[in-house]
Amino acid sequence: MGTFIQQVVNGLTVGGIYALIALGYTMVYGVMRLINFAHGDLCILGAFVGLSLLTGAAGSGHTGAALLLLAFVVSIIAIAVAGVVLERIAYRPLRKADRLAAVVSALGASLMIENGIMLVWGPQVHVFPAGLLPATTWHFAGATISFVQVMIILASLVLMAALYAFVNHTRFGTAIRAAAIDQDAARLMGINVNRVITSVFIIGPGLGAIGGLFIGIYYREAYFTMGWTYGLYAFIAAILGGIGNIPGAMLGGVLLGLFNAFAAGYVSSSWQDAITFGLLIAILLVRPSGLLGERVAEKV
Amino acid sequence: MMRRITIGAGAGFGVALGLLGATGVARAAPPIRIGVQAPITGTYADEGQGIERAVKLLAAEQNAKGGLLGRKIEVKVCDDQGEAAQAAICARQLVNDHVIAVIGSYTSGAALAAQPIYARADVIQTSDGTSNELLKHGYRTWFGNAAPNSAEAKFTAHYLVDVRHFGKIAVLTDHSSFATGLADAVVADVKADHGDVIDKSFINAGSQNFSPVLTKLKAMHPDVLYFSGYYSDGGLIRAQMVQLGMKAAFVGGDANQNVAFAKIAGPAAAGSVIINVPAPADLPYPVAKTFVAAYKAKYGALPPSVFTLTNADGMRAVMQAIAATKSVKPAKLEAYLHGMKSFQGLTGTFAWNAKGERTGSPFVAFEVQKDGSYRILYPAPTAG
Repeated sequence: MGTFIQQVVNGLTVGGIYALIALGYTMVYGVMRLINFAHGDLCILGAFVGLSLLTGAAGSGHTGAALLLLAFVVSIIAIAVAGVVLERIAYRPLRKADRLAAVVSALGASLMIENGIMLVWGPQVHVFPAGLLPATTWHFAGATISFVQVMIILASLVLMAALYAFVNHTRFGTAIRAAAIDQDAARLMGINVNRVITSVFIIGPGLGAIGGLFIGIYYREAYFTMGWTYGLYAFIAAILGGIGNIPGAMLGGVLLGLFNAFAAGYVSSSWQDAITFGLLIAILLVRPSGLLGERVAEKV
Repeated sequence: MMRRITIGAGAGFGVALGLLGATGVARAAPPIRIGVQAPITGTYADEGQGIERAVKLLAAEQNAKGGLLGRKIEVKVCDDQGEAAQAAICARQLVNDHVIAVIGSYTSGAALAAQPIYARADVIQTSDGTSNELLKHGYRTWFGNAAPNSAEAKFTAHYLVDVRHFGKIAVLTDHSSFATGLADAVVADVKADHGDVIDKSFINAGSQNFSPVLTKLKAMHPDVLYFSGYYSDGGLIRAQMVQLGMKAAFVGGDANQNVAFAKIAGPAAAGSVIINVPAPADLPYPVAKTFVAAYKAKYGALPPSVFTLTNADGMRAVMQAIAATKSVKPAKLEAYLHGMKSFQGLTGTFAWNAKGERTGSPFVAFEVQKDGSYRILYPAPTAG
């Protein structure tokens, strides 16, 4: 029982992180029909920006919580700006071009960011300072749950709920949904589609920066090639949930984290990825548009 | 048309050379080229950069003394990122660059991928790769500069079973050819020593998320977790063990010996045990002390791990072979290196057997201290 609870907590923690990153993929795809392959690298850039602030300020007398909050704020702003710049440089000039050109541009941007991180921070593994958060742990029916895990799970839930409310219950959220359905029709209705796209490139990377910082804080390490791994997992989470669908990305992320934990814990850790991908293929065979996805096939 | 231009240019070059010769302008002897194939970027970047720095340091020292056979040493570096595909590209590139010997790579997988290319081109390859796979083909060009897995496995099994008397032993490895080879050898030797291996599990290197497999192991209540993979994962595994409240001791294989291990594991690092030849700062030999001091003076930091020094030994052995045979012919150098009875390395006195396996290496088990330094636990250090 303890082992089962432990695996659920393990799965929810990484699942929450995957979900936060997957939201960026799914929102960009929803509005622009573009898979932003640079998204994973943007998230890791967020981790590095936060890391610089945390190590730079270490020993300056700031208390842990305030410093951490500052790191999050700075990192979110920096990555949101990076997201907007990325859209202006890499995607906007290609908006009317062939879909493949934008995908290639995205891959190029991914490599640029990855290597940019390497040039600025160096190729070695970077370590986050210890003691940022209380080392408190709770023991529950044989499982050990740490403060960091609880914080990541709760924060992911709150952020996802907030995003869901924003998209479904505000005027701007309605504009995003309208642009996702049909950009031209939305424009005719007086919606500033460019502003919608810019906002998507603020919200997605902003959430991704939080995900990236969570990775850094949870594992306490960051290195420049990490973006690809996490980008891939988040991309799979988005596909699993139905790409373009916001609740789908959340569900996909959490499920992927849980699958991974159970596959490693109960079957075999060497087959962990094979099982996860196998399950993904099985789900897509039954529901090609993902668990919560609709109307993906029509608009090609 | 293209062909005619080429011929014309070639003829012109020939005439120019002839004129140079005729006018008696002395031409400097071409440099002796030595390659470095190492992970300069990627997960094992600091190890790769350590190898590059060590080889460049030795080459610069030798050049300051006038080089070898009156020729300067030129170092060509290729970044294989610790990956097999890139390693094969590097090997071809360095062969095209006409190197006579290559130092590196750090990972067995990268060394393995490059091995047949160097063997076909008759280029000496000296690497810290310790996987037994590297010895299978019996390439004359292959020289392992680190102690082989078989010797490490024997020592590890003896340490786990006879010295520490661990009852239930869990083994964890990644999928690399080096780590699985070492893990299999340790499992076999532990069984031979009548120890109890309760589980052997795998991790995906670099995936960071090791809690699921550790949770499974925790439920089995092992006395010790032996991890045969690399430091970047090992440090994280140690941290996650403590975070999960696992009581098992941590013993790691030689690839965990890197200054980053303690940094990544953080407060959890203290008490972890690593099995390897002694760390750079603990090597008792005067040549090693001189080298470490020169390295620190030039680069402002200690070598990241002992593999910087084993690769430096590869370079030193090649230079010694060139000086002794007064030749850069691969066949002569290979014969010399294979025939050496003993070589005074930075990492101890050793020799190479017919398969290119390093023979003679003192293993130790050392404990990581709170400040990240090492304390040798076994065998008990002798006074002085």
